[in-house]
Parts: sequence; C-alpha cells; structure tokens
Amino acid sequence: MTAATTTAAAPATTATAPARTPLFEARGISKAYGHVNALMNVDFEVRHNEVVGLLGDNGAGKSTLIKILSGVVIPDRGSFFRNGQPVDISSRRKSEQAGIQTIYQDIALVRSMSIMRNIYAGREPLGPLGFMKMGEMRRTAVEILDKYVRIAGITSPDLLVEELSGGQAQAVAIARAVHFKRDILLLDEPTSALSVRETEKVLAIMRELAESGVSCVFVTHNLYHAFRVCDRFTIMAHGQNVKTALKADTSLNELTDIIMSH
Amino acid sequence: MVASAVDSALRYRRASWQSRVRSHPAGPVTILFVVMLAGCIVASLLLPEQFRFLLPGNLSLVLRQIPNLGLVALGVGILMIAGEFDLSVGSVFVAAPFATAVAYDAGVPFALAVLIAIAIAVVIGLINAGITLGFRIPSFITTLGMLFIVRTAAPYIVDLYGGRKSLPFRPPEGFKEVLTVDVFGFLPAQFIWFLLFAVLAYLLLNRHFLGNHFFAAGGDPKAAQFAGINVNRTKTVAFVLSSVFATISGIFTITRVAVAQTNPQLFIELYAVAICVIGGLSLFGGRGSVLGIVIGACVLQLVQDIILLAQLPGFYLDMFVGLMIVAGVVINQAIKRKY
Ligand SMILES: Nc1ncnc2c1ncn2[C@@H]1O[C@H](COP(=O)(O)OP(=O)(O)O)[C@@H](O)[C@H]1O
Ligand SMILES: [Mg+2]
Repeated sequence: MTAATTTAAAPATTATAPARTPLFEARGISKAYGHVNALMNVDFEVRHNEVVGLLGDNGAGKSTLIKILSGVVIPDRGSFFRNGQPVDISSRRKSEQAGIQTIYQDIALVRSMSIMRNIYAGREPLGPLGFMKMGEMRRTAVEILDKYVRIAGITSPDLLVEELSGGQAQAVAIARAVHFKRDILLLDEPTSALSVRETEKVLAIMRELAESGVSCVFVTHNLYHAFRVCDRFTIMAHGQNVKTALKADTSLNELTDIIMSH
Repeated sequence: MVASAVDSALRYRRASWQSRVRSHPAGPVTILFVVMLAGCIVASLLLPEQFRFLLPGNLSLVLRQIPNLGLVALGVGILMIAGEFDLSVGSVFVAAPFATAVAYDAGVPFALAVLIAIAIAVVIGLINAGITLGFRIPSFITTLGMLFIVRTAAPYIVDLYGGRKSLPFRPPEGFKEVLTVDVFGFLPAQFIWFLLFAVLAYLLLNRHFLGNHFFAAGGDPKAAQFAGINVNRTKTVAFVLSSVFATISGIFTITRVAVAQTNPQLFIELYAVAICVIGGLSLFGGRGSVLGIVIGACVLQLVQDIILLAQLPGFYLDMFVGLMIVAGVVINQAIKRKY
C-alpha cells in the first residue's frame, strides 16, 4: 500500500491466458431492449488486484453491462462465474453476495446523516435490545476511513455527508462497500461530476484498492483517466466487446483509434 | 500498531464542543429559550407586582403544563424525523385515554384498561401507516382524515351504547400520585416523567438501530432503501410511536384532571408540530433532536405564560404558533438551498 505504480499489479501475460482464474467472469451476455441489442454475446472478466477500464462511446452498452453485473437488469442470455464457480447474480442482493457493489454517485448515502451513521445504516452492530454498539462503530469507522479514504482528507467520522465534497462522499461509499466485504467495485463514470483535484483522489483510491485486493471496474469516457489508473482495458462498441488489452500491450493512441473506428 | 491507533485517534478527533453547539439542530432554539427565560426573570425582578413570573406557583404551573404537549411532540417529532406527519394525535390524545376510563369504569382491571388505550393507539398508528405507505399518500392528508374520523367516531360510538361523554377517572391508589405529585412541593412529577420519556426518545433516536433507520428513512428514503433498510417498516414503527406517545400524554391528562371526556381538544396536533419546528426539526424529515423538542415545548409554554402574565389576549399564542410554523418552513427551505 505504498505509492501506486500503475504497472506493477498485472503480470505481463497475454490477455487470453491469465495467470490465475479470474475473480469474476461474465460469458456470452446478451440483452435486448425491444429492437435495440444493447449487448450481444459479450464476454467480460475482472481479475484479482486490478483496475479494469470499461471503455466505449455513448450507447456502447457499458451501463447495461454494469446494471447486469449489479443485479438490477437481468440479461436475456449469459452466465457468471466467481473464481471459476458459477454464481447467480439475478438480484441486487445476490450480486452483493457475490462480492459486487456498484458505487452510485447520487443515491449511495443519506446526506443529512454523519459518515459513521451512513457506514452502518442498515447493518448496525447490535448489542442487547437492539441498541447499537457505538464504541465499536466509532472505532471501525475511524479504522476504515484511515485505511481506505485517508487520501480523501476527511477529518472526522461525525461529519455529515452533505459537508463533504463529491469525491469524499464517493470515497465514503467505497469504504463502506469494502468494509462489508465487497471485492468487486463497479464505478460507472465516477469522475464525470468531479473537479480535477477530486478526480485525482478517486483515481488514487481505485489504485490503492486494487493493490489491497479489491478489484475495480472503471467505466469512463475519459481515456486519459483510464490510461493512468487501469491495468487492463475492455473496449465496447455497439453492444460488443471489440478489444481487451493489457496496459503493457497497448497505448493511448491505439485505444483512441479503436474507439474512433467503430 | 499502537502508534497507528494513536495516530488515527488524533486525526479523527470528535468535533469540538463549540462547533457541535453551532451545528446542533437545537442550537437556535436553545439560544431563543435562554434569552426568553432571562427576559422573563429580569422583567419579574423589575416589575414584581405586574409580572409574577418568579412566583413558585407560576413556575410549577409552567412545569406542569409543558409535558402535555411535550409528550405529544416527542412522538410527532420522531415521526417527523422519519419523514412523515401525524395530525391524528389531536384526537388520539382524547379518544384512546377515554377508552381507558370507560373500561375501568365498567370493571376492567386497571392495567388492562390502560393497555386497551395503547392498543387503540397502535391500531390507529398502523392504519395511518398502512394507508399512507400503501397508497403513497402524503401523511399530512391521511392523518388529517384520521383526525376527524377519530374525533367524530369516539362520541358516536359512546352514543351508540348509551354511554356518558364525560366520566370521572379515579385510577387505583397511588397511580395519580406517582404521575402527578409535586416533588419537594414544587416540581411536578409530570415534568420528571416528561424528561424520562425524553431520555427514552433520545436513546431510541441516537443509540438504537431504529433511530438510525428513522433518520435514514426520513433523510433520503431511496438511499436508505439502497442501504438495505426497510423504509416502510421503519416508518410504520414511527407512526405507531407517534400514536402511543399521544395516548400516554392523554392518560397523564385525564389522571391529573380526574375526568375523561370526548370533547375535542383543538389544535393539539398543530401545537405539537409547532414545537417540533421551533425545536429545529426539519419538515422534510431526517433532521432534528430530542433536545430540540424538549426546549421547543418549554419555549411554547413560556410564550403562553408570558401571554397570561402580561394579560395579553389568548389568540396571541395561536398567532405565535402560526408564525413559528411559517418561519420554520422558510428556514427549512433556506437550509435546503444551502446544500
Ligand atoms: N432501459 C432501456 N430501454 C431501452 N433501451 C435502452 C435501455 N437502456 C439502454 N438502452 C439502449 O441500449 C444501448 C446501450 O446503452 P448503455 O448501456 O446505456 O450505453 P453506455 O453506457 O455505453 O453509453 C443504447 O442504445 C441505449 O439506448
Ligand atoms: Mg453509460
């Protein structure tokens, strides 16, 4: 967990022969909305300890894939594997049980509540009679803020979420997900509403997460952001996976060309 | 390990008490209360004959009155924090305790008679919740309807069975004393009970998981649902609590005056809402504190006392309540804009 080096995480093997069984795999995913084929026979994998960039132009099908992975959209066809074992992710709850958590920009946290209360909303550690273990909540809140969002510059778990910046709020949502044992985070355009400085924080957090064993799927338009933080890229166009490449095997120019040519 | 624990303890200090007072939702009302109280004391010292605020009789009258609306406001406030309104408390406050008096008068054991009132409160709370949440109707409307239904149904049912609309209420030996005796000759037991219930409400809101869910469901139902909280169930519990607190207040009242009747007691529900608004609770849910409700109740009673002592017309109180509710909405909107 030292300074993030963007090349260290992924071993230099070819994209088709990973060193380990992927953490998560989606195979042959198809989804149509009426006549629109949002996804056609898409394969997608998330490896251990990586940030994988999910790239592509508007309408390519990225958000549809993310919604399927988070269990809120059911695909017409396709199967899913976690560490090589088939898993069911046909509801949000099941997807979360498979270790997947989507970080939404707007609905993740209750703005009028403190960070600490948000972290535990719905999963309070309980003592006798349903009273919350406040000491334990505070201790762990401090611990996870320290561990995952130190970068974001939050000064107290008692701050209200509405007192935080957009990037800090996302950092808290991420910390909550990680604390509750999610090891695959889906971030759909997490930086689109953030300032430059805030974007830097979120990128740095993704890097730290990958290093500490939480893989991130980073959906973005911004190839510069993607290229700085991702270990691997999957490019989608017209509902298909048109290219998957390790960072070492590609370049910003090549990625741009592929997206432009579809 | 130890070093890093110390490190993080330093990094994540609890907010300083000054900043906590400043940002506390009950901050403004506390200042208002202190200023008003100081003003009353000064006026009473300067004009002891005209403004008899400091007479022990007046002080214990004020303390005796605060719990009536204060207890109702505790329930209404918890529900408001959970994001809903309850206007039916005005008639529940009357009808449920009346049922206790009728049952006890008819020979039902006292404890059971009290339980009947609580049961009625629970049922009314459940109906309020069921209709509001089931049909997605603003609770303002549902409970306004319930206010009138209960208010008119109670005397109607009494009529139907040829009962009296006003009954003496003489609970068993000791009950009245425990509820209403003056401790040390001047501190009404009701006030102590009110503080005890306030402490319970505080523990519920701030230390119990239900409180966490109330704040979440009222602050942002979507985010609460997303975090895995059952928003409808949470709000249902709050509806029931609101009804029950109103009933408890009503039982205190019939015990103190020793008579239960079905005559409507007007505006209780609005006074309760006003107390909450004065106390800094958000009309949109998710924000507020028990301290605010308690001090809000004190402020309202203080205003009433000032009006009495200064021999101003009684409708000044209603005017004050009206002003406070409108001011509350304006301030709420201002806070909303800020974030
Ligand atoms: N709920 C929906 N109903 C109908 N069409 C949809 C729906 N969601 C997405 N689509 C269509 O599916 C295609 C892929 O969309 P999306 O996954 O949002 O792309 P991206 O996130 O890459 O911009 C688009 O043509 C879009 O119009
Ligand atoms: Mg999209």
